[in-house]
Amino acid sequence: MSWKGKRGMERSNLLPRPATITDIRELTDKEKLFTIRLNDGGNLQYRPCQFVIFSMLGIGEAPISITSSPVGSGESFELCIRSVGNLTGAVHKLSLNDRIGIRGPFGNGFPMEKIDGKDILIVAGGLGLAPLRSLINYIIHHRWKYGRVTILIGAKRPKDILFKDEVMKWEDDPSIETYIAVDLAETGWTRHVGVITGLFKYVDVDPLNTIAAVVGPPVMYRFVVAELLAKGIFEGNIFMSFERRMRCGIGKCGHCQINGIYLCQNGPVMSYRDARKLQEAL
Amino acid sequence: MDAIIEYGDVNKFILELLQDYDVIAPVEKDNRYIFEQVDDPSKIVHNYDTTILPPVKWIYPNNEVLLRFKLSDLTETRPVNAFRNQVILFVHPCDINAINIMDEVLAEEPSDANYLARRRSSIIIGYDCACPCRENILCFDKGCHKADRGFDILFTDLGNRFFVTAATDIGRKIIEKSKAFSKAGYSDKTGLMKANWERESSFTKKIHGDINRLSHVLKDEYDGAIWEAEGRKCLSCGACVIVCPTCYCFDVVDEVCPDMETGVRYRRWDGCQIQDFCEVATGENFRHKASERVRHRVFKKEVYLKKRFGRSGCIGCGRCIEHCIADISIIDIYNHVMERKKGHGEI
Repeated sequence: MSWKGKRGMERSNLLPRPATITDIRELTDKEKLFTIRLNDGGNLQYRPCQFVIFSMLGIGEAPISITSSPVGSGESFELCIRSVGNLTGAVHKLSLNDRIGIRGPFGNGFPMEKIDGKDILIVAGGLGLAPLRSLINYIIHHRWKYGRVTILIGAKRPKDILFKDEVMKWEDDPSIETYIAVDLAETGWTRHVGVITGLFKYVDVDPLNTIAAVVGPPVMYRFVVAELLAKGIFEGNIFMSFERRMRCGIGKCGHCQINGIYLCQNGPVMSYRDARKLQEAL
Repeated sequence: MDAIIEYGDVNKFILELLQDYDVIAPVEKDNRYIFEQVDDPSKIVHNYDTTILPPVKWIYPNNEVLLRFKLSDLTETRPVNAFRNQVILFVHPCDINAINIMDEVLAEEPSDANYLARRRSSIIIGYDCACPCRENILCFDKGCHKADRGFDILFTDLGNRFFVTAATDIGRKIIEKSKAFSKAGYSDKTGLMKANWERESSFTKKIHGDINRLSHVLKDEYDGAIWEAEGRKCLSCGACVIVCPTCYCFDVVDEVCPDMETGVRYRRWDGCQIQDFCEVATGENFRHKASERVRHRVFKKEVYLKKRFGRSGCIGCGRCIEHCIADISIIDIYNHVMERKKGHGEI
């Protein structure tokens, strides 16, 4: 490797691109939906289940999954952000037209090339619906390319369900099967009460032709994977997205490492077959 | 290109370097040695044992400013990636090998622009070890007691003068420009061969068994009792990863200046041994036990980096052993897993 000579200043991967918040929508008492446009007019060019690093100069950065579909969102993209830490708390105080920074997109995203013509079973627990909404809306946009589409959604309480208006549309869409479970029901709740795995009894799959996409809290994976395997779905056809607090997105800072894998490079989406080989994954 | 420099001319050479470069060199501090920027050649110690922090930290510094920004105008954000040329002087072979590893890891796409910019601005002048510097080192096992690349110039002590090898164009230019060097003669070259031979015979191996099988042996010990035992000792202070010349994990931190108008985003060293390293915003910690963290450090060096780059990430300098206040020794860990394997008749 020759180090001397040309002193090309490559653009730092750690330099955020200036962006503007063009819309803010309150989803629940903890989550808000931010629509963002890059100031340079560029298109973000992402795949479902990729993430960006959201940057507020003076406060810091945090990795956030992209929740909008890569198609139909024009030059903007959407991030669903739960107020949970320093940065996300500050993000929730932002207003329309405020300027922020964006790095990315990072990660491998969902393997779209593997799902053409397949039946798709989507399992979204809590905030896991945010990245999966990107995939769901992409699939709806290209509905003819896929077989049966089934969506299982789990939340703590009915008021915690994200994107309620869209979820109701999915429920009304005859080309999609949507099932919802809440841990704690409220008066008037007519759907399933219990954990998300309770929804599997309503689901009928063709194990030879089904791809599963699972995103949710870490505790959910083990139980959901057991249900999917019991349905006969192959280990290599179960895809999960893993959560870690990435600091850099370029496979260097070490925070997203699971055994020898950097999630920001070889993830966050991994098949169960690959994840099973990593002792620290599940 | 080979040359000779007399002991008495070394300071003259360093004075020449000081005219063009920042010079970073080993100096004595409280009976220990550190790499420090110097402007007085007489302070420099060339026959030091080892330094507290490795020289690579001058290419990958702590609290390195990445960006300067204006709170009122994001377009005023400026990356900090232009650096003065520096010479890092009298770097031991183990540390040269460490820089080679860091180069490979941080140049891999997506690359680390700041490291590469500093690396391009750094000239490495190595200093061959004649014998082991301390007891708890395993550079010989690792083949890192000598370096065959990664330096611009290499000094070898012949006992009465230094044999100097230039390995790069910039190294050659520095030697050609300097008045301190003379041509190496036949006796100098035989002196170099003798020094190299004597070095090889002065080091001893510390690892019991074939070190090339270490990553394979470790994989079988993933669930071994050793990690629980070492984890009980570990205080999670992070000293081992801070002094390690091939640890590069970091955190990114923002700081607003007192004027409340401007600020900096910098990166500071972080380490996988620190308790909250794998904590996420919701409080979930994905490596919450000390035993898991100790295992991760060893596996990262010996298994994960080896799988990615074909070579171990540990250069055997022994700094992590020296600075561990809980007496955790990777030599002991390596030997423990090797002995267990032998006990099973597998080596």
